[in-house]
Amino acid sequence: MTKSRILAAVLMVSVVGSYVALAQQGPARRSPMTFFVTSRPIGDGGNLGGLAGADAHCQTLAAAVGAGDRTWHAYLSTQARPGKPAINARDRLGTGPWYNFNGEMIARDLAHLHGDTLELARLGNNLTKLTGLTEKGQIVPGLNDYPDPRDNDWDWVKTTPYSNRHEMLTGTQPDGRAFADDLDYTCDNWTSNGGPEPGAPFGPLAAAPGKPNAQIGFPDRNGGGNGSWNSSHGTRGCSQRALPMTHGVGMFYCFAIN
Amino acid sequence: MTRTTTSIVAAVLLALAGVDMAPAQGRGQAPPRPMGFFVTSVGIGSGGDLGGLAGADAHCAALAAAVGGGNRTWRAYLSTQARPGQPAVNARDRIGDGPWYNSKGGLISQHQSQLHGDTLIEAQRGSNLFKQFALTEKGEVVRGVGDPGPNVHDMLTGSQTDGRAFTDSADRTCNNWTSSGAGSAQVGHSDRIGNGNTSWNSSHATTGCSQADLASWGGAGLFYCFAVN
Repeated sequence: MTKSRILAAVLMVSVVGSYVALAQQGPARRSPMTFFVTSRPIGDGGNLGGLAGADAHCQTLAAAVGAGDRTWHAYLSTQARPGKPAINARDRLGTGPWYNFNGEMIARDLAHLHGDTLELARLGNNLTKLTGLTEKGQIVPGLNDYPDPRDNDWDWVKTTPYSNRHEMLTGTQPDGRAFADDLDYTCDNWTSNGGPEPGAPFGPLAAAPGKPNAQIGFPDRNGGGNGSWNSSHGTRGCSQRALPMTHGVGMFYCFAIN
Repeated sequence: MTRTTTSIVAAVLLALAGVDMAPAQGRGQAPPRPMGFFVTSVGIGSGGDLGGLAGADAHCAALAAAVGGGNRTWRAYLSTQARPGQPAVNARDRIGDGPWYNSKGGLISQHQSQLHGDTLIEAQRGSNLFKQFALTEKGEVVRGVGDPGPNVHDMLTGSQTDGRAFTDSADRTCNNWTSSGAGSAQVGHSDRIGNGNTSWNSSHATTGCSQADLASWGGAGLFYCFAVN
C-alpha cells in the first residue's frame, strides 16, 4: 500500500471537516485542540511509567505542536491496590467539551463521551476514524487499512506508520471507570511490559489469572465484535511485542482538562 | 463431543482467527454463518417511495436471491407510523431474533438486545454493525464519509434509536415509504460517521423524500435487510 493513500486520507479530512461543520451548522471558528490520539507509543509495551509517565507523554506530544499551554491527561484507569484506591479514566478529563486537531467536537461532556444514559449510549459520541486524529492531525490506520501478513509482528510494524494500529490502551470499562475485580486490565497499573511467554498458546482476548493484560478500545470503531472506543477487549500480553499481535502499538487517548 | 473438547476446539479456533476478530470473516469455521444481514447494494431509485414495507421487503428478497440468499425470508429494517386504523410497525419487531451475519460470515449482532443496546452496557459497547462489517449482499463496503465518490451512508430506517417507530405526528418515514416528494425520513449511518453521533439507525432526518433530496444528505435510498429465519 502506498503513502499516497494516507495522504489522500489526510486531504479528505479537511473535506470531512467542512461536511461535519455544515451538518452541525456550527460556527466557522475553529476550536482549539483538547483531544488527540498519541501519534506514537512510548515504546515499552504496557509500561508507560504509570499514569504520570503517560500524562507526560501526552504533554510532550502536545507541546511539540504548540498545545503545551494546556494540562493534558492520558485516558487511562488504574486498579485498586492495597492502600491505593482505583482511578477512573473518566475522572481525569475535566468536563469538556473536547475538540480534535480539526476543531471537530468529540464529545460535549462526560455523559456524551461515555453514553451515561440509554439514549446517549445508543446515539454515541463523535469519536470516529475520521475524528480520532493524532496531535498532528493524522488518521490512525484501522481495521482493513494496509493489510499485510506482517501487521501482527512488531519487528515489521515498528518500521512503518502504515499498518493497522487502532488499539488504544484504556484499562477501562465502557462507562470510563476502572475494573473492580482482581484480574489485570491495566498492565499492572501501566508499569508492566511482561507477557506472553514465548510459545504460550493464544487464549481468549480477555483478562485471566496471572496474565498481563490491558483493556483497549478503537478510534475507528471497527473490531472486537463491538465498536467500543474505550473498552472492546484485552491484549495478548503487555510487552511491546505482544501489543501488535492484536493490532495495537501502545498508543492512547489524551484529553486536555482545561 | 464433550463440552470440554468443544470449548478447547472453540478456543483454538478463536486463537487461529486471532487478533481483533475481524479476520473471523470468511475463515470458513463451523458452524455455518449464512448471510442474514446486508445493506442494499442499490436503492429502489424513487427516493423515499419504496412501495411501502412490502415493496422494500421485496427489494431485499430480490437482491438476496441474486447472490444465492433467496432461501431465507428477508425484511427491510424500516418502521412505519400509526395512521387511522393502522397501528405503527416497529423495525425491530420485523427482523427475527438473530444472530445475524454479513455476507462474509462476520457477526453483526448476537441478538436484538445487542443490536439496539437495550441495556446500558450493551448500548455503550455497541453491536458489530460498523463500516467494515455493514457490507452489501455482494460483500462490498458501503461508501461513507471521506471515501472517493458520492457518500451513500444514509440508511433509511424511519426509526428511533431503540428500533421503534416515532410516535409524534411529524413525518419520519416518507409517508410510510410511499412518498418521493414531500416529507422526511429518519436515517442512520452505515459507516457510523456524521451529525455528531455514531448511530447506525437514527442519526438525523432528511429534508424531502426525492432521490435528489436523499442524495443531498449523503444517501441513495439504501436500507438494511435482515433475515428473519
